[in-house]
Amino acid sequence: MVVGEVAERTDVAIIGAGPGGYTAALRCAALGKSVVLVEREALGGTCLNVGCIPSKVLIHAADTAHLAHRSTAWGVQLEATVDAHQIQVHSASVVQTLTNGVAGLLANAGVTVWAGEAHFARPNRLAVTMGDQVKHLEFTDVVIATGSTPIEVPGLGFDHQFVLDSTDAVRLDRVPEHLVVVGGGYIGVELGTAWAKLGAKVTIVEAAKRLLPAMDKRLAQVVQRRLSSINVEVLTATMAVSASDSTITIRSVAGRDETSIGCDAVLVAVGRRPQLDGLGIDRLGVKQSSSGHLVVDAQRRAAPHVYAIGDVVAGPALAHKATAEAIVVADTIAGQSAAFDPTAIPEVVFSDPELVSVGVTADHAAEAGYEVATFAFGFAAGSRSRTIDDTAGFVQLIADAQGTIVGAQAAGAGVSELAGELTLAIEMAATVDDLAMTIHPHPTMSEAIGEAAMGLAGRPLHVHR
Amino acid sequence: MSEFRLPDIGEGLDQAEIIEWLVQVGDVVRRDQPLVEVLTDKSQTQLPAPSAGTITRLGADVGDMVAVGEVLIEWTTTESNPPNDPAPAPASKPEPATTPAPVRSSMVAEGPVGARPKASPAVRKRAAELGIDLAGVAGTGPGGRITAADLDGAQSRPTPTPAPAVTASAAPRAVRAPTSPLGQATPGRHPLRGIRRVVATTMQQAWTVPHIHGADEFDARPLLSARAVLRSARPDLAALTPLTFMVMAVADALAHFPAVNASIDLDEGYVDVHDHISIGIAVATERGLIVPVVQHAHRLGVAAMAAEIRRLTDAARDGSITNADLTGGTCTVTNYGSLGGHFAAPIIKPPEAAIVGFGSIKDRPVVVDGVVVAAPTLPIAVGVDHRLIDGDVMTAFQEHIISRLLSPIVLTA
Repeated sequence: MVVGEVAERTDVAIIGAGPGGYTAALRCAALGKSVVLVEREALGGTCLNVGCIPSKVLIHAADTAHLAHRSTAWGVQLEATVDAHQIQVHSASVVQTLTNGVAGLLANAGVTVWAGEAHFARPNRLAVTMGDQVKHLEFTDVVIATGSTPIEVPGLGFDHQFVLDSTDAVRLDRVPEHLVVVGGGYIGVELGTAWAKLGAKVTIVEAAKRLLPAMDKRLAQVVQRRLSSINVEVLTATMAVSASDSTITIRSVAGRDETSIGCDAVLVAVGRRPQLDGLGIDRLGVKQSSSGHLVVDAQRRAAPHVYAIGDVVAGPALAHKATAEAIVVADTIAGQSAAFDPTAIPEVVFSDPELVSVGVTADHAAEAGYEVATFAFGFAAGSRSRTIDDTAGFVQLIADAQGTIVGAQAAGAGVSELAGELTLAIEMAATVDDLAMTIHPHPTMSEAIGEAAMGLAGRPLHVHR
Repeated sequence: MSEFRLPDIGEGLDQAEIIEWLVQVGDVVRRDQPLVEVLTDKSQTQLPAPSAGTITRLGADVGDMVAVGEVLIEWTTTESNPPNDPAPAPASKPEPATTPAPVRSSMVAEGPVGARPKASPAVRKRAAELGIDLAGVAGTGPGGRITAADLDGAQSRPTPTPAPAVTASAAPRAVRAPTSPLGQATPGRHPLRGIRRVVATTMQQAWTVPHIHGADEFDARPLLSARAVLRSARPDLAALTPLTFMVMAVADALAHFPAVNASIDLDEGYVDVHDHISIGIAVATERGLIVPVVQHAHRLGVAAMAAEIRRLTDAARDGSITNADLTGGTCTVTNYGSLGGHFAAPIIKPPEAAIVGFGSIKDRPVVVDGVVVAAPTLPIAVGVDHRLIDGDVMTAFQEHIISRLLSPIVLTA
């Protein structure tokens, strides 16, 4: 350590400017704290730059291209020509607009942003490397919001040319001829589906016995059927062994025989792990779980004056969970009473069709010996789903013995927009009758929520008895 | 049939005392339902059921000491894989030819299925602010939902009321005394249990430490006027107590005398000088003496210090204090004067090397410019481990604390 170095001082230092970090910065500043936000890459973090946002731009473009295959029957003939480079130009401009917005909000709130890499020099001091310069920052409270990084599979190390991580796969400026996706979780399914609709042959390789193993079985089945209809090949109970020279080698989980598939791109999307390397957290007296997550309390405190939010702590690695944690942390630092205490965290998959899962699932309830009632209303009987010619999927509600809504799952066109109502119902401890007696507008996909609630209440409407 | 053994509660504790069974043989329990209240050297806590099941035997009686790994209960579980039965640890390197399962957590929020009280987020926040445990509130809404109105009639936890405003010459009550009459007991032979046993063990250990004590008394007017100025100037400091300044002065003195911020390891022949300054505060509670710790005390400004002391003393009193708040102290402050008293000979909490006590602030004779006048004074009594610290250092340490409390502006600058 340099003797006599001078440190700048701040009330709150925040490491990482993703949805968790920048929200914590805005909120701390609004509550009167001086804030320095340290980011080594780009404002907005994984979500804005290489995750949620560019992947949704890609999926929207892919769905538009795919319309050409569907609209003839509706009386509109379309011809789709995909310009992968222009998709990237558009995506970059969307990302730029949103990150500029974040920068503007931070500046307006009086947050100081340091573009550099942070390292704990002492428990109350960061050394921030900015190019060839190192600046020191002394703080009272610190928030670790450094996010996560893709997990690498042995034998399929990322070379970012042939073996791609999710960041590479949302930034491809060519349509691959044959893309093999290793990992049938939500990232693999979302990106695999998009590239298939843009013209690639896609094969998804999943080690579990079914696609989307972390999601409810019935939801996964709807997606599996749709993937078959757009010629995405799904190999379950299959492992990837190695990849090199335009070839990926796979074998079944049970067997020994290996098969090679020729392809021009491999996307490895098997999950993400907390990104804490090189931060020097061993100086802080914090604890890590066996999965590498920081152990925190309800205020997201990992040690006195040390807070952690987002993908570096346990729970779903989702932007909206990080945002909610950030608000709790800022309020706590400002001396207010706050706790991270959601009844449920909604999860949305932008597959085809879209999926929503929030709260208890039927399987979880059964495992916990918890008695629930379920009712699913299929979009085959819906009116809006008919008008858009996409009747796959359903809304399923789960209620406890007192009739309180404790869980919901949905699959269907555009159902991501239903996640808010379903989550609100669970947070408010709404009953089956509350939902059944709420007037849902016609003709919309949301009617299925009212229909499922009426079914749970024992008086289904648009259902054959 | 399976067994639930006392888990490693952490903090290096290897045993716990059974305080109260919350279930009986034959009870059907939900996952996460509290089974038993136990007391460790650090805190009193409830152990939840790791899964759903039916209790078939209790492994210990109230008052028994149970070691980590010993059977607490026998039961038939209704879940095949209780979550605290660790699954076989994954090999450090995955088998090269496997595709790891996605690292994804359950989408169900933390907390057991079905065990949550039913209430909206706004009602839950309000309950937390009022100190109301929703598990004990009967909901009158549909499906048993707890409404905002239901909170009005709910019994709140004993939440501490703000410290009464005291005049400059009145005794400070920063650390409030228990409300029940002190020193009550019935004739007979009583088992040594709970916090009394912990205090007894710690003090027995402390008695092997050769102490030296110093004491002095100084003008409390600068401290009281600094407090009065801050209280009127800063709304967030309206409840500021002298204890806040006392802890800040001790932290400052420890920073100036690192040799006092140390522990002796006579068996191994080492002195451990700590790299952090964390100060325990002796708090008298209904259950007995508890010493929560202000971690990294030298880093805290006056507002943060006041808030942290308040949080810790409140948590110590209402029993919600956790092990994390009871460990890591490097020195202790005892405000024995909150009940009255002039000088004392406070005993160190091993393995710390020093304890600083403060007497009551009240009007006493003071010499000002050669004339005896009545003015509020604050007595101080310091105890140190003579194996590590000699009288000269002890006196310099004590003088430093006094100098800071005579010029409290230095602490708040």
